[in-house]
Amino acid sequence: MFQTKNENKNRLSKVVALLLSLMLVASAALVLGACNGQAQSESSNNSNGAQVEQEAVQLQIFAANSLERALPEVQALYTEQNPHVTFKDTQFKGSGDLVTELQGGAPADILITASASTMNTAVENGSIDEATRIDLFANDLIVVKQEGSNVNASSLADVNSSAITKVAIGDADAVPAGAYANQSLFTVGLYSDESGKGGTYTQGFDAKVIIQSSVGNVAKTVSTGDVQIGFVYSSDLYRYDGIEQLFVVPSNTHKPIVYPGAVVANSANANEAAKFLDFCLNNPEALKIWAQYGFELI
Amino acid sequence: MNNSPKRFVLVVMVLILVLGTMFALPLLAQANEQVSIDAQGTAAGSEGASFGIDDFARNNKGSARTYEGRDVGYRYPMAGASAFAALVLEDKLVIFIPEEVQATLGLDFTNNKAAQEQFVTLLKALDAHNARGGITLEQLNLPVVFTNAESIQHAGSIITFGVEVEPGYYYVVLTADPSAATTPDTSKLISFMATGTIVASENLVITPAPKGLEAFKEFLTHMDYRPFWVSMRTALTALVFVFILGLAAARLTLRVSNNVKDLLDAIFTIPLVLPPTVIGFLLLVTFGNSTAFGRWLIDNGIEVVFSWPAAVIAATVVAFPLMYRTVRGAFEAQDPEMLDVARTLGWKESRIFFRLMLPLAWPSIAAGTVLSFARALGEFGATLFVAGNFAGVTQTMPLAIYFEWMGGRSDAAVFWVVVVIIISFIVIFFINLYARHTQKFRMGTAKEEDKGEGIYRFE
Repeated sequence: MFQTKNENKNRLSKVVALLLSLMLVASAALVLGACNGQAQSESSNNSNGAQVEQEAVQLQIFAANSLERALPEVQALYTEQNPHVTFKDTQFKGSGDLVTELQGGAPADILITASASTMNTAVENGSIDEATRIDLFANDLIVVKQEGSNVNASSLADVNSSAITKVAIGDADAVPAGAYANQSLFTVGLYSDESGKGGTYTQGFDAKVIIQSSVGNVAKTVSTGDVQIGFVYSSDLYRYDGIEQLFVVPSNTHKPIVYPGAVVANSANANEAAKFLDFCLNNPEALKIWAQYGFELI
Repeated sequence: MNNSPKRFVLVVMVLILVLGTMFALPLLAQANEQVSIDAQGTAAGSEGASFGIDDFARNNKGSARTYEGRDVGYRYPMAGASAFAALVLEDKLVIFIPEEVQATLGLDFTNNKAAQEQFVTLLKALDAHNARGGITLEQLNLPVVFTNAESIQHAGSIITFGVEVEPGYYYVVLTADPSAATTPDTSKLISFMATGTIVASENLVITPAPKGLEAFKEFLTHMDYRPFWVSMRTALTALVFVFILGLAAARLTLRVSNNVKDLLDAIFTIPLVLPPTVIGFLLLVTFGNSTAFGRWLIDNGIEVVFSWPAAVIAATVVAFPLMYRTVRGAFEAQDPEMLDVARTLGWKESRIFFRLMLPLAWPSIAAGTVLSFARALGEFGATLFVAGNFAGVTQTMPLAIYFEWMGGRSDAAVFWVVVVIIISFIVIFFINLYARHTQKFRMGTAKEEDKGEGIYRFE
């Protein structure tokens, strides 16, 4: 089916017009993007040079998902007191993902993970400067249910009771909370590996387990009622609406839960990054924020 | 067709109504409260009371951290030198109000039942407001004990109020009681505590959070609209690359032998099949400084990872197969004999492509463009991996929805959901309009065909 010559031309001119307008938009956008890029590289060049006290610095933090509410407040406080230091939007993800990204070459200054083992992986990769590694917070593992739901459980053994059909647990490889949960489940014979990783759930229980990619997703699926119970940190209670604590998992059933922080090995702002970590630990105003969000400074 | 724009307007209005109702509902519920809390949730007063609470904070955890190497015990921060502290112990709620505050206000909290009740009402209201999903004082409903003693003994520990650990900062400090038989875990004795200052009503200014339509207006003025522009900028830029590369790739596969064609087709289509996170990881490895290629790029000043170009690259890669496959299908459906006819008439290949193949494939190209645009607009996994989540730079609408929701700001997430639905609706609506238009157009030419008028007219 062919069009006559005129129609053909019309079509063609439409195509050309569309192409041209798209090009225009794209080039405008590219110019904007390039400008941004230039500004950024200039500032990072500056920070490579001699560290003058008031030189503008922008820090990039990779932090465990569970710090999503508290850390930005501490950052804002730091910028208020040290106007020359600002922060790029902090990337909050499962600790395992963050370590993988660092290994993949993503640029960052500070890494804060939710377990010693994920930080160990980062050390093995050479992604972080081991000398700067420091334990920041302690946390508890708890089992939660949807607010107001009538599910009942008061000990680890109850997790596999017949009334409970869906249990959300973080993916042990990427989510430390999941690994801690598995370690605890091992003590009641519901998981096959003591380390909490690489094992399987006991038959019958495995069908109930729903693996989530971050501890935040665990909390969210519990709060919507899609699963009945989930393993999260006690700090998550204050981070998400709609979840309620059932019981604290006994701390002797899993490895101690600590949040280590460290400066990234190839950080261009290592000095400022270390100062910020120190601020997190020692500033009394920062302590107030951590206390409100349920993070216990070590 | 005449009804369609009306229907469209109607749907948009319904969506806006849904969003508006979401804001109105929770506000209607809390309309009848005698306690008024300010917008920040740190101050409260009530009509009958001569005092109010300011600088309120609920501390869910304390810290055993040493101060300058000195072990001070397990401590919870207090709001100031003359702050009150409300401690949730296992069996009771202990409220400490400093003697000097009681003297200044002229209120004896230790004995005045009316003042106690007013204080507890304010405390519970503020606590519920700041509980962040934790259990509230209201739910616990513990017996209340007021005290002005600077330290109390509890379960083998000594709890001291108003300890100035560092200059200007005051704490509730728990230490083991040396005279007690057992040493308790001081970090577990208090399940949570609240602190704040008590001020006279006339010194308390409370600006309550706006309600109803006001709240909606407030929300819209404080909303960060950058994700919309980032999304548009990213998707449109990606679309330019997808458009050109998709057409070129489709043309290329037509001109090679079948074996090569199958191979190329597999390569061009694989981003459609791979999970976006895999694409994200591959891109990260390619452009990051863990590979020789990535390092070479970075050494030459091309830092792609975690920047806006990375978002464009991610969107381009995932949207490309849609354009390529749609257009290739259209090209393959074209009659090869017709192309040969053009060749016998002395047309060059480029002319055949631009003047014959492209115009004939136009409906498919348009469809492919729209599909790719939609895919680029909806891109999430690969973008998150390789471009990260930077407000105003790489935070597109899908990323905004995810992070607003995960961060507990569901209202902002719903806002973006509605925006995305409206955009999708507009796009689909116009595809349908366009499809009907071309259909009519084709039916028109078909009639002409019947009359036997110049159908194969070339020059």
